[in-house]
Amino acid sequence: MKLPESLFSRMLLAYLPFMIYPYGFFRAGVAALWIVLFLWITVAFFWFTRRLFPDRSLKCAFLLWLIVWAQAVWTLTKLPPYWIASVFFLAPVSFLEDTAKAGHVRVFSREVPRSQYPSIGAERKLGRSQLPFGKRMKKLGRYFFERALTGIGFAGFVMLLAFVREIAEKHLNLHAFEQPAGMLFLIAAVAFLWKNQPYRRRR
Amino acid sequence: MRGARPAPLQRPGEGLARIWCEAGDLFFTAALTLTLLVFAAAFDKTRLFAQDYAILSSGIIVYGLSRYQKKPDVFFLAVLAIVFMISSRKNDLFHGLSLVWAVSVGIVFFQTCFLGLRHKLLFSRLPVSMKGWPSLCLLAGFIALVLRSLGRLVF
Repeated sequence: MKLPESLFSRMLLAYLPFMIYPYGFFRAGVAALWIVLFLWITVAFFWFTRRLFPDRSLKCAFLLWLIVWAQAVWTLTKLPPYWIASVFFLAPVSFLEDTAKAGHVRVFSREVPRSQYPSIGAERKLGRSQLPFGKRMKKLGRYFFERALTGIGFAGFVMLLAFVREIAEKHLNLHAFEQPAGMLFLIAAVAFLWKNQPYRRRR
Repeated sequence: MRGARPAPLQRPGEGLARIWCEAGDLFFTAALTLTLLVFAAAFDKTRLFAQDYAILSSGIIVYGLSRYQKKPDVFFLAVLAIVFMISSRKNDLFHGLSLVWAVSVGIVFFQTCFLGLRHKLLFSRLPVSMKGWPSLCLLAGFIALVLRSLGRLVF
């Protein structure tokens, strides 16, 4: 089974490690920003070095990259390594796979078309793009724009949930928010609102 | 990237068997990794790597084991998280293994309840606006509430 492709589903899954972290609003925000920064570094790193890896070792290299960074961050800052799961879920579904289909990604109820080569693996399979330089740059820009949007959306989502958790736990004394159940109820409410956006209902 | 294959809703019996198999695999993989880490920490030459680079060493072991079993990447991440969570508590091996067993039983309990409730939802008149993530998160929240209460009673 493929992991869900929509931005919202990936953000929900990427939030799951934050249920383990006993962080308040500020530290959760810092952790989310680190995850987003690392996601962008990862995407850029694998995009620009993709030709250096043999075909079969690309995915292995990606997971090893995550483990090595988890160890380094743990050694330096004592941040538990669950954040690599967030990076894994935020990384595009077909990031390293050889799927050649150009798909569509839903962002704010609109479909954003993927670039001609939606993944590193697909580009590897089909060969280098024969498009003119200008068009190639435009597609590259769209590729990174989608990843940038994912990161910004995730950071906002985590900060929103951390803020609501802080208010509910400390000011309203709702004990359900001290455990994952409270956050799951909150996420259910957010998912309900997301699913029933006025724009989507009008169509 | 591949996620875990979901248990089939139409045939709950098959789904239940798959949940037990997956939990068994998870238990044995995590238990084997913990045991190997404890053995590595017992020798002078490997102690530094096993203790100071616990995430790296356990990550490599878990990755090798999950590749050998042809498991998805989500399985690898889940086992790595469990191994780290237990090994960072500095328990002895037996206590660590019993914690792995408790986590595996919890996962079986959660997934069984989740499968049963999702199967029931198939035959209920759930509004379209609640289908998908909203209903799944609500179900997960209720099961988490029950598990937390049970956990407080047992531990």
